[in-house]
Amino acid sequence: MRTIRLFLYGIPILLIVLLVAAFLNATFLSVAKKNEMSIGTIGEPSTLNPIQQADSASSEVGGMIFNGLLKYNQNLEVVGDLATNWELSQETTFQFATEEEAKKAKSFLDIFARTNHPDWPITSTELAPRTKLIIRLSEPGYKASEAIAQALRDKEIYYIPFHNKSVVTSFLAEPIIHFTLRRDVRWHDGIPFTSADILFTYKAIINPRVASPRSSDFELVSSVTAPTPYEVIVRYKKPFSPALLSWMGAILPAHLLENIEPSKWADFYNRHPIGTGPFKFDSWKTNEYIRLVKNTDYYLGSPWLDSVVFRVLPDPLTLRLAFETHQIDFWNVDPWAVKSFEKDKRFDLFSSSGNMYNYIGWNLRRPLFQDLRVRKALAQAVNIPQMIKYIIYGRGVQSTGIFTPKMWFFDPRVKALPYNPTTARTLLDQAGWKPGSDGIRVKDGKRLSFTLLANNGNEIRRDIATLVQDDLKQVGVEVKVEIYEWAVLLKRFVNKGEFDAIVLGWGLGNDFDQYAIWHSSQTHPEELNFVDYQNPEVDHLLSDLRQEYSRPEILKLAEELQQTIYNDQPYLFLFVPESTSVLWKNSYRLRQPGSKAGEWIDSPITMTKAGWSYNMEWFYRPEYPPKDSVLGNNLKR
Amino acid sequence: MTTLTAKTIQASETETPGTRIWRRFWAQPIALISVIVILFFAITAGGTAILSATGHHWPCDPNTTNLEQKLLPPSPQHWLGTDNLGRDVLSRMLHGAGISLTVGFIAVAVSLGIGLVVGAIAGYFGGLTDQILMRSVDALLCFPTFFLILTAVAILGPSMINIVVVIGLVSWTGTARLVRGEFLTLRETEYVKGARVLGQGHWSIITRHILPNAAAPILVTAVLGIPDAILTEAGLSFLGFGVQPPQATWGNIIAEGKSYLLDAWWLNLFPGLAILLAALSFYLAINALQEAAENRS
Amino acid sequence: MTSFIIRRLALSVVLLFIISIISFFIVTLTPGSPYPWGELNPKISPEVKATFRKKFHLDQPLPTQYAFIMRDLFTGNLRSIKDDRPVMSRILERLPATLSLNFTAILISLSFGTLLGVYAARYAGHWQDMASSFFAFLFIALPGFWISYIVAIVLVKNFGVPILGTQSYGIAFPNELAVILDRIWHLLLPASILALGGFAAQSRYLRATMIETTREGYIRTAHAKGLSEEVVLYKHALRNSIRPLIAGIGMLLPAMISGSVVIETIFAYPGMGRLGYEAVLERDYPTLVALNFVLAALILLGNLISDLLYAAVDPRVRLE
Repeated sequence: MRTIRLFLYGIPILLIVLLVAAFLNATFLSVAKKNEMSIGTIGEPSTLNPIQQADSASSEVGGMIFNGLLKYNQNLEVVGDLATNWELSQETTFQFATEEEAKKAKSFLDIFARTNHPDWPITSTELAPRTKLIIRLSEPGYKASEAIAQALRDKEIYYIPFHNKSVVTSFLAEPIIHFTLRRDVRWHDGIPFTSADILFTYKAIINPRVASPRSSDFELVSSVTAPTPYEVIVRYKKPFSPALLSWMGAILPAHLLENIEPSKWADFYNRHPIGTGPFKFDSWKTNEYIRLVKNTDYYLGSPWLDSVVFRVLPDPLTLRLAFETHQIDFWNVDPWAVKSFEKDKRFDLFSSSGNMYNYIGWNLRRPLFQDLRVRKALAQAVNIPQMIKYIIYGRGVQSTGIFTPKMWFFDPRVKALPYNPTTARTLLDQAGWKPGSDGIRVKDGKRLSFTLLANNGNEIRRDIATLVQDDLKQVGVEVKVEIYEWAVLLKRFVNKGEFDAIVLGWGLGNDFDQYAIWHSSQTHPEELNFVDYQNPEVDHLLSDLRQEYSRPEILKLAEELQQTIYNDQPYLFLFVPESTSVLWKNSYRLRQPGSKAGEWIDSPITMTKAGWSYNMEWFYRPEYPPKDSVLGNNLKR
Repeated sequence: MTTLTAKTIQASETETPGTRIWRRFWAQPIALISVIVILFFAITAGGTAILSATGHHWPCDPNTTNLEQKLLPPSPQHWLGTDNLGRDVLSRMLHGAGISLTVGFIAVAVSLGIGLVVGAIAGYFGGLTDQILMRSVDALLCFPTFFLILTAVAILGPSMINIVVVIGLVSWTGTARLVRGEFLTLRETEYVKGARVLGQGHWSIITRHILPNAAAPILVTAVLGIPDAILTEAGLSFLGFGVQPPQATWGNIIAEGKSYLLDAWWLNLFPGLAILLAALSFYLAINALQEAAENRS
Repeated sequence: MTSFIIRRLALSVVLLFIISIISFFIVTLTPGSPYPWGELNPKISPEVKATFRKKFHLDQPLPTQYAFIMRDLFTGNLRSIKDDRPVMSRILERLPATLSLNFTAILISLSFGTLLGVYAARYAGHWQDMASSFFAFLFIALPGFWISYIVAIVLVKNFGVPILGTQSYGIAFPNELAVILDRIWHLLLPASILALGGFAAQSRYLRATMIETTREGYIRTAHAKGLSEEVVLYKHALRNSIRPLIAGIGMLLPAMISGSVVIETIFAYPGMGRLGYEAVLERDYPTLVALNFVLAALILLGNLISDLLYAAVDPRVRLE
């Protein structure tokens, strides 16, 4: 009897005491921070193997563990990472009918080689058995080679064109990148990094069994060779300027993976990778966290933080709750919360223009959207400035096309279509759509009505859909909004090209190559030109961009591309949201390597062109000040 | 004295079960309060439905967006504040009441219908039919109901009819078991046996003898499904699988307001309170009914 | 007894297969298909997608897919579409968190529920009883997701105390006790909220059973013997009422696993409920089939244990 009473009252009391004690402990006693950075992420990486991942969550983690040959510095300029030097050159090959013709061409061109002519950057020429002439140029691209071809024709030295299936070219132009590698880098298991790793990584990426999302970046590579342990030579089949950027991707360790079947990588490597970067993999508790620890042998020196933890959290609200309870160290602020954080002195905020834009894609296969007047009318009937003000609380700008203001090739002169419902109505009238009895416009007995799709789970897009619905009603257009899960949206509508209009966004890197999105050849199921945009002029611009290496030329082409596509309105380009991050004031400072060996620059966290989190590996907590004696195993850089 | 006692005895002797239950029900104060709350919800839901059918809205149209007025706290103009598109929360909640109550009643009707039929057949015929049916019920109970509802709604699409049907389809098992139990017991009673001897058909036996006696406990337990359905619908809406916006339900007001939780607490508090009150009143009323129906000496 | 168990096990196995077939078809007939790369990504070529589909047999007819999944399930080779890891690892690594969360919630439900139920039964018919009933129904009617958020806001805004996951991160704990208390906090908080509805239901059930028991013959005998109210209550009524409660535990576990989806999402707790919900959204067929299988097996096991316990505890019950 007593025992019954004991249990009956005792257990609940015990539980309450435990709860209160645990609460007091968590709130007041256990509050000191470790020397560890906590980063919140919504998506969990599916794999930490950098050549098999395509989601941003995986690359965030990968950025700490791996290095590429090249990287961006804080001004978004390309600098060396694992490579100390890279030279671009090209081999242009002509073929002739006879050896004499070839020799004639050679002596003609050797003059230019000797005199270092600025227009024709020929470094040397060489006869290849027996009727070919290889011209080495110090710059890649078509222009110089085309000028040479023209000059040969003028000189009546006739070359024989190359036939490759149905394509006829006057010459073969093969760009070459020559990388010189650092010699002081080691993998996390101590093995030295060499050119064999680059070779292996390339082979793995193009291996279909690996199914690497990066394989399309290397389609035009004809060969990769490693003449010495610290040099790599990459040859391309034809000029392809985005090539350099593809070498910013992570490099894999050959010594660990070259003898393992790709299908076994998932168990053997992908969950506990080895890289060369500032942090080493430590542990991964699925759906909870991934922990990295500092690499004291990092070639730039040991990081100041002992460890970095990536916490996997399911949704934005949870991220915010985690940030406010010091469980993660920074948070990507939702636009409506920016104001309240700005006013709060406990926080530091960093804002920058974003890398993505939101749009409504018109399915150009539908007769309704084939009339440019209709597309322009719809664009001017939607009040985008108001959308920016109310959906993203003013934190963003109207989009003027396929590039965002942050990109160096963005054209600020492109004028955005203004909000003008009157013009919209006029345009619709002109296109033959007259107001019907219920206010909705009619033409040939059909009502001006379409379905707008958006994905469940993204409030901004849902709100966009609702606002668009309202705005278009004012000009006599009926919009039905349907929300679906992402998986359904893709399978049932987008991949089959069976939709009217859809609210989406593109997240872009610093890459001007948008071939996959806009080229008329990319309209098959599952390809990215799912609105079926066809413009031969744009096709040319896209291909030209891919072959252009000179920055001023790229700028010209990109600007033309942006204006042309904007004029065509295949999308209703909406807005480019700003991204703002918030940190607890003074929770971190930056101490990064200076330009001279042994020099360190100490500063608070600031915003740079590459963002505030550039060089995150060199952050430190003021409670754990860095001691310069923890430099890595080498001082020269 | 004797006359008084005689009268009292007379009164209790001539009282029908129904009247007695009625009296005992209303004797409980909590019953009155909960019925008033239920009626309040029902009337506001019905009134709102009638009003909007004729094109009027009070206090305003729940779907009119007004971006200048978004995320406003409760004020004299907007008693319960506005949501992220500037829509009046009170109006949306009034419409949501209709959805919650409709889902509650129809889902229960569906589940009662199926449960009644299955349970009656199993209980009345017994034997092999009973075994087969009950094993199927067991099998159905093995499906983790929540995932079942999720996937079913994902297949059929999240419209109100689909959700109602799905909730009903998933929750009939309890009713079926109860009905079967009642039928099994009642089947053995004297008057049913007598009716069989007299050659009465199954149908008339069921409708005339068994059902009226089984009705009370079955109905009382089945009605418990209403608050359950209201809570399930709110949970589904919250997860994004319920009735879709812009149609307002209590659950999806909370769901849409989730991201603004720390800045706009009213988007969470009021709809949640409404769900709580509605479900609570049903539970209390049904409990009062059960207490009243109890055979206490 | 043994023959009963064997028959039940055989029946359960058959049921399990039927359930797995039905759940497989429900899951694959859901519109949409697996897409583990997040949003539209220019980097994923159609070849990569084709390789992926072939690997998971997604281009085969449905019955063939089912056969592959079943084969892989039993040879231990079943891999998740989401991250290509063995499905059973994914499920098993969530098991400790799920079990600890749910068992704690059951413990809380039982202990507080019993207390409240006894109290209500003791004062049956009086205001204390009505008050407890009111509170019980209040907690039953409380929407879980709503109260979780309210608790979360209050705790975060006013105390800044970590509430997510199974532990606090980045904290330099002063000693081992602090670490243990931290884990306890992260466990008790969501478990308490999960237990709110359960404890109320238990208290109602116990109260009803106890009241019924007090009308039984042997209670009247105890009263007649002059035993005090308390002894009657605790020694006799309670003991006899606990039995159905214990037998009912077997059924609680599966209900709680699927019921904790919302709590797990809000508190970022790594349990099986969340696993299933996310698998539905991602159309991760292998995980869903395996999860349904495991859950159905647990439910059938729970039923069996429930029936056995009931038979053991109540001599009047016969196993058929």
